[in-house]
Amino acid sequence: MSDHHGPSDAVAWRKWAFAAVPIAGLLELGAHVVQTHSVAPRGDWEAARAYVAAHAAPDDLVAFAPWWADPVGRETFGPGIATVQREARADETRFPRALEVAIRGEHLPELASWRKAEQQRFGRVTVTTWDNPAPVHVLEDLVSLVDPARMRVSRVDGAREAECPASHAGVQSGGLGFGPAVPSERFSCPGGGFVATSIVADLDYRPHRCIYAPAPGGGGSVRLHFLDVQAGQALVGHHAIYVEAERDRKGAPVTLTFRAGGIVIGSVTHHDGDGWKAFEFDTSDLAGQRVELIAEISAPSGDRRQYCFEAVTR
Amino acid sequence: MKMPSLRMPERVGWRDHAVGGALGLAYVVWLLATAGAVGVPRDEGVYFRAATDYVGWWRLLLERGHDALQQSAIDSAWSINHEHPVLMKTLFGVSWWLFHMKWHVFADASTAFRLPAMCTAGAAIWITYIFGARAWSRRAGLVAAVLFGLMPRVFFHAHLACFDVPVTAMWLACVYVHWRAQEKRGPGGTVAWALAAGVLFGLLLETKHNAWFFPAVVVPHALFVQRRAILQGLREARVMLPASLVSMAVVGPIVFYALWPYIWNDTLARVQWYVDFHLHHDYYNIEFLGRNYFGPPSPKSYLPVMVLATVPTVTLLLFFVGAFDRGKAGAARLVAWVRQTVDGPASDPGSRDPLETDLLLALSLIIAICPFFLSKTPIFGGTKHWMPAYPFLALFAGRGFDLVRRAMVRALPNRTNRRTLAMDAALVASVALGPLAVTAHASPFGLASYVPLVGGTAGGADLGLNRQFWGYTTLNAAVEYLNGNAPRGASVFISDTTWEAWGRMQEEHRIRSDLRAAGAPHEAQFALVQHELHMNEVDYSIWTAYGTDAPAYIVEHDGVPIVSVYRKP
Repeated sequence: MSDHHGPSDAVAWRKWAFAAVPIAGLLELGAHVVQTHSVAPRGDWEAARAYVAAHAAPDDLVAFAPWWADPVGRETFGPGIATVQREARADETRFPRALEVAIRGEHLPELASWRKAEQQRFGRVTVTTWDNPAPVHVLEDLVSLVDPARMRVSRVDGAREAECPASHAGVQSGGLGFGPAVPSERFSCPGGGFVATSIVADLDYRPHRCIYAPAPGGGGSVRLHFLDVQAGQALVGHHAIYVEAERDRKGAPVTLTFRAGGIVIGSVTHHDGDGWKAFEFDTSDLAGQRVELIAEISAPSGDRRQYCFEAVTR
Repeated sequence: MKMPSLRMPERVGWRDHAVGGALGLAYVVWLLATAGAVGVPRDEGVYFRAATDYVGWWRLLLERGHDALQQSAIDSAWSINHEHPVLMKTLFGVSWWLFHMKWHVFADASTAFRLPAMCTAGAAIWITYIFGARAWSRRAGLVAAVLFGLMPRVFFHAHLACFDVPVTAMWLACVYVHWRAQEKRGPGGTVAWALAAGVLFGLLLETKHNAWFFPAVVVPHALFVQRRAILQGLREARVMLPASLVSMAVVGPIVFYALWPYIWNDTLARVQWYVDFHLHHDYYNIEFLGRNYFGPPSPKSYLPVMVLATVPTVTLLLFFVGAFDRGKAGAARLVAWVRQTVDGPASDPGSRDPLETDLLLALSLIIAICPFFLSKTPIFGGTKHWMPAYPFLALFAGRGFDLVRRAMVRALPNRTNRRTLAMDAALVASVALGPLAVTAHASPFGLASYVPLVGGTAGGADLGLNRQFWGYTTLNAAVEYLNGNAPRGASVFISDTTWEAWGRMQEEHRIRSDLRAAGAPHEAQFALVQHELHMNEVDYSIWTAYGTDAPAYIVEHDGVPIVSVYRKP
């Protein structure tokens, strides 16, 4: 039996082609109704929170997908689960496991290569547990050493090195353009510089908890002495300049140099436009030793060099 | 007394103006009913202040004319916000003075300030109807007017005492009057319409600098419409120019100059400054597809993607149907003309439409959007800067509706009048209900709202499209949380909202008057983040300042965060 599609079919198609418009209109209306009624209710978020609270280990990552839902996640899960350390992480490699709390079937691209271990649905919210196929073992996190007991800071101008004592002052923060907030606990340098733990917005406006150490410029540098650091095979980290100071790509490069026992471990320069840039130095010669690790930050100009870095020994 | 018949005659006349006016009035009423939920954005705060100063000068002129005309008095009143011409700000001020201060029609000053812009939105709907009715059919005009009003972004911006909807209305009015001015009439009629075109062009210049592109619409159109007369004149060694163009060139600048006292002194320098300001405008940021653009090159896909994501899809579908039909007709004319030129003595095949309406509508739309394909054009305004194109998009959509309706009648013949009416109503409903639902739902978060084609508000957020600018959603944070939860006298870091805007909303009791605005998170007990990509840095500052990353409350639209409210522990 042959299937004829002659002129009459074409005529019929044309005759009813107009219906595409009202159908499209009704589909748009229907899609609007569906979309506006598909919002995950707070009850679903709360149920997911209870599950995550019961299952997440302290070193697990808890993350929200899509990224724009992150504020809702932080509000619902609270700072005890959605911690700053998790939210403003350097990267995902240091977490052995991730509990991803997602709506709309979204998935964080950072976890794309991780192995799915478990999935639980709470209405419109899904919690997926992912195993990191290659978690890295951290020996020491320099950001956690920003404490007078474990770190000294000095400002170096030529041959003169001035101590930047630990101090307690009021928090400094501002609106758009101010830069990372300066916490009350900080090392204050003579002449106005400081070093403290803060959160930088990188070139993609992502948060990263890091050591905020603006480069002084003018031939000077700021020197951080991390005391009694457990060295490993490598020193791995990231660095960035606050987005508003970096995005125009007009600022001076900032150089970070690590030394231990008078020997330079490595040096890395951040150029505007690099964003949250990773670095890694081989420290196998120091592996197993406890060392004083010195990080020195310098730049030809200090103009808006709102620099921040983090590093771990592995 | 015999009442005039309400049955619509074939000729478009006063009854049509009554229909168009009623549509426009209904729109203004809808805007007034929903304006209270739309907070005061940054720009509006400045325009309110400018409007107050401007109307103060006009009052001074009426009371002490000589003093008012001194340069010191002029500069003192008109220097504020002199980067924009003054027609709308003057009207905002007059409305504020009459409807709020004097007659107390509106309890809120901001509603009085906003009324003139709302009225221009109503006028745009009215003119769209009349234009469509005259160009194609009443049905086309009606659908065009409705679909124009039911664009969520148009509806949002129509609430504001800003210039984007007014310049849209003025652009449309200018095109309409220019179109009517091309009709053959007696000398009196020709002069009157030409004069009207000149005056309206002056008002367009006085509304916003989009007007600078307007000659690119009317000059080629008028020359094409009058081509035979112009050529004939040249053969007779005389120059014949369309009267409307002459009027726009002469009367337009006079009106522009006359209505802006700031340029009465140091005219050239001040006009030059105004032009330079816009030719070298700062690039503010805008998020597009997850990336924040702070400067050139602007992405060429910005306009098409944003149109697809913000104009209801059925409206665009009807636009394509209508534009394809008119484009096909234009192409057929062109082919006929080329054939005649090649085959024999060239002659202009002419058109059944001596006013060349298709060409005018196409130019009006294309010229309004053209600058946004240039890589140097700032895109920070989102869709509002090309809104003058939208009435013409809607007019082509109206034409598309006519064609769809005609096809429906062909497919479903032999119907009774009642059934025909029911089918017509169903067809109108099928194309209008979706846009109505989307537009009504978008308010007051019109800038965060996206059409169902891209997944609605959440779909827009998935795509990394901008959710807001100008910090106007602080009002919603106050209404939903601060007013009910902040302790008496609490301080609030208002972030992207200006002090002026905050103060205005407090004066109008929309935000509790005891709350104190603060300039930094650490100075305040509460901190706001109006979610835009680049505002994330403020979010992180608050985490450090407050020692917590958990907002106390989030203003949401369809589950998408609009404002985070932090409370200092």
